Amino acid sequence: MKIVIELSVNGDSYEVAVEPQTTLTECLRDHLGLMGTKEACGTGECGSCTVWADGRPILSCLVLAADCQQMEITTIEGYPGHGTIKVLQQKFQEKGAVQCGFCTSGMILTSAALLKKNSRPTEDEIRKALEGNLCRCTGYNKIFQAVQAASEQLSGESVEEAAK
Amino acid sequence: MKELNYVGKSVLRKDGPDKVTGRALYTVDTRLPGMLVGRILRSPHPHARILNIETSLAERVSGVKAIITSQETLGVKHGFVETPRYPADQHCIAHDRVRFVGEEVAAVAATDEYAAEEALSLIKVDYEPLPAVFDPEEAMQPDAPEIHPSHPKVREPYHNIGGKTESGWGDLEKGFAESYLVVENRYESHLRTHGYLEPQATVASFEPEGKLNVWTSSQGPFIKRMKLAKTLGLPQSAVRVHKAYVGGAFGGKIDLFSHEYCAALLSMKCGRPVKIVASRPEMFAAYRHGQPMIVHLKTGVAKDGTLLAQEYRVINNCGAYRGSGVVVIFLAWGFAMLPYRVPNLSYEGYAVFTNNPVRAPQRGHGAPQVRFAVESQLDMIAEELGIDPIDIRLINSRQSGEVLPNGDNVHNCGLSDCIKMADEHTNFKSTYGKSRRVPDSKERYRRGIGIGVSSYFGGSLIYPNSSSVAVKMNDDGSATILTGAMDIGQGAETILCQIVAEEIKVPVNELQVIAADTETTPVDIGSWISGNAYVTGNAAREAGAEIRRKLLELASDKLEADIEDLVLEDKTAYVMGAPDVRVTYTELVAASISKHRGDPLIGEGHWRTMRDEPTHPSLATTKGRWSENYAFDAQVAEVEVDTETGVIRLLKAVTAHDCGFPINPMLVEGQIDGQVSMALGHAFMEEVLMKDGFTLNPTWLEYHMPCIHNVAVSEHLDVITESYEVGRPYRTKEVGEGYVSAILAAIGNAIYDAVGVRLDTTPFTPEKILKALGKIQ
Repeated sequence: MKIVIELSVNGDSYEVAVEPQTTLTECLRDHLGLMGTKEACGTGECGSCTVWADGRPILSCLVLAADCQQMEITTIEGYPGHGTIKVLQQKFQEKGAVQCGFCTSGMILTSAALLKKNSRPTEDEIRKALEGNLCRCTGYNKIFQAVQAASEQLSGESVEEAAK
Repeated sequence: MKELNYVGKSVLRKDGPDKVTGRALYTVDTRLPGMLVGRILRSPHPHARILNIETSLAERVSGVKAIITSQETLGVKHGFVETPRYPADQHCIAHDRVRFVGEEVAAVAATDEYAAEEALSLIKVDYEPLPAVFDPEEAMQPDAPEIHPSHPKVREPYHNIGGKTESGWGDLEKGFAESYLVVENRYESHLRTHGYLEPQATVASFEPEGKLNVWTSSQGPFIKRMKLAKTLGLPQSAVRVHKAYVGGAFGGKIDLFSHEYCAALLSMKCGRPVKIVASRPEMFAAYRHGQPMIVHLKTGVAKDGTLLAQEYRVINNCGAYRGSGVVVIFLAWGFAMLPYRVPNLSYEGYAVFTNNPVRAPQRGHGAPQVRFAVESQLDMIAEELGIDPIDIRLINSRQSGEVLPNGDNVHNCGLSDCIKMADEHTNFKSTYGKSRRVPDSKERYRRGIGIGVSSYFGGSLIYPNSSSVAVKMNDDGSATILTGAMDIGQGAETILCQIVAEEIKVPVNELQVIAADTETTPVDIGSWISGNAYVTGNAAREAGAEIRRKLLELASDKLEADIEDLVLEDKTAYVMGAPDVRVTYTELVAASISKHRGDPLIGEGHWRTMRDEPTHPSLATTKGRWSENYAFDAQVAEVEVDTETGVIRLLKAVTAHDCGFPINPMLVEGQIDGQVSMALGHAFMEEVLMKDGFTLNPTWLEYHMPCIHNVAVSEHLDVITESYEVGRPYRTKEVGEGYVSAILAAIGNAIYDAVGVRLDTTPFTPEKILKALGKIQ
């Protein structure tokens, strides 16, 4: 039996009829057509489905759509001109942090949430933030470099300077 | 050499903007009006006879639109290899027998996943379980359960032999007799999976007029079209495989898969689009992984370390059908032949049927298994002879211009330079052995260094054998490239743009790519034979060259100058030394249309590797040419072993490689880093655990792939042996799968260097280390 829920996604309001067990990933993809959110495991192991709930990264495959009605959901399609995300999108390309691209939405949203909270994260803080996001193509080195480069641009100083 | 503007530069990916914004649409993102959900019923038995299948209850479930079993199929079998010696051996849906847990028995299409799942639960299958066997050496025994009859041409009284490769040269007995030292070892490699992020997925939509449209996560659309047409009984003209972005493959998405066939047949049955997406546990338990292999290796050397004789006996745990199991025993021969000169060699490889899932190629396809054996043993030999690991490799490494025993020429071979550079860069000679010189060290963390060497072929002859590319100029001087190449993340579209840009001097960002569609793009070898940069790249170069010739002729008329005196640059042409007077491509295209009766400038290019060879080499005897460009590499691993816990970390990986020349250095680095990371996972963390045909760890929580905490420093050293010149064919080498092998062997050798313990099976788990150190029983 379907229920009608109200969702706020990327600043737009939606009324959607979903099953009570419909996950947020399924709702975003199958009901709203926001295909930038990917599902690679469906059980919270890979981070591909990362979106923001009220600015914090969550695994959308592990939450029910019906439970997200009071939150502001942001996907990779949201705020195309947004500063942190935009800088990361640029750095991911410049540093070669993108190959097949299936993890990229989740990587960028997780990194952006980190940089918004902490524009000059340490190496360990970057690793800690991204530990739940799997990438099979790049071996992570270039993703790490992209996040560092974005951090430098956003904070206006190099990581070495920040460490002083 | 003239300066290059686009080739050899780290040009940003063409698909980058799509991928970082979430706009890139993969097969899992494909949605069509009226689309149904498909689900597959799988065998719960490793080996059983199917007595009866009853679907009537399932058909009554509301929302169910079609159910198929083998009754609905034409009974046409398929196989990764389909040759007279190795005919197709697998039904698309199990017919009267299942041979592995997870084999496809029936499929359902319904309006939603709930109805589909309910229908699956109501299909009643009567099985008569049969004895099963999972270990290849047990399966070879005369009293083992028979999965398939042994190949008729195999003379030995073994059971379950799916295929055999035999090869050799020289006089083995003489070689061993002349040897100063002969050693014999057995090495075993484990079952590991590809770990692509995008699930296996297919959308099929059959139009009532007879056209089947398919979107599928794959490594090349043309082989899918051929196999779908054949198994479904359709002409190839009735099957169109469309492009979708591909979320990783690593060898695991090449062959025809049952879900692709089922989606197509379900759609044909009910006339609506059908989408099947495999779940992660389904992919772990029923889909194809790599090839676990046993390598018996006997080697004889002279006192100075020169290899004199090698005898290989390779046993591949092939799974329930041939899959690529008969290819990997052929390739294993090649990886035994390649990097070192061995005057006398004998090779036999067996693909042995077991009641395990079918095997697929996996990045390196046999090389990691063979190189682990050879490189481990070579270090043992070096130590016994008192020779350095570097020197023993240099003595035996192949040199430029050498002709291999199969008749191939290695052409420009940078292997010795790779070994030397890796040595110098890591201070290998002075570091190696340091840890073991303090045998009673009480240090908990011990460090070690190790080296491995590998070589990989680039492109070979296998269907569809060749690539073609078309380039068409647009009014504004930009151009569009039509290619069947499939970008699976490696950057195929980007490098093709760089090559065309270099030939016609149109910037990369003004080139559009239409790719990987069997209807609108020319044929392509696919992204699974390590030939994209060489074969499709040269086709793109030829297509560009044709346009270049036409542009120069037109410009020569316009500027009233000889073609030799003209320069093309950034969509314009000018006379050398007079860059102020230019004619634009817009003007040249217009001139062509008016002068050449409407020709808007279209170029075409074609390339086939080894153009004088009629076909691929024999899988049985290895006779025939294999490849015309071989990549070489030497990789050094630095590891740290925790002697208390047995946990090993790869600290640094150094890859010195001869890839010919890098068309896009950033993409090359990406391939190397990815392979180092994959090898790290295979070395320490990853193993598909199976018991009695069932997968015990079918999720990423239980099968650990490297995460960002498991990263090694990855350094790259280029050995450039080839060059690119506009207007001339080039010979570049592969970078996509050759660098996953030597590093695995190097890790094993580094562990020995750290703690004096040599493991002859992968993975290198803490348990094995602690056992070898005598810390646990």
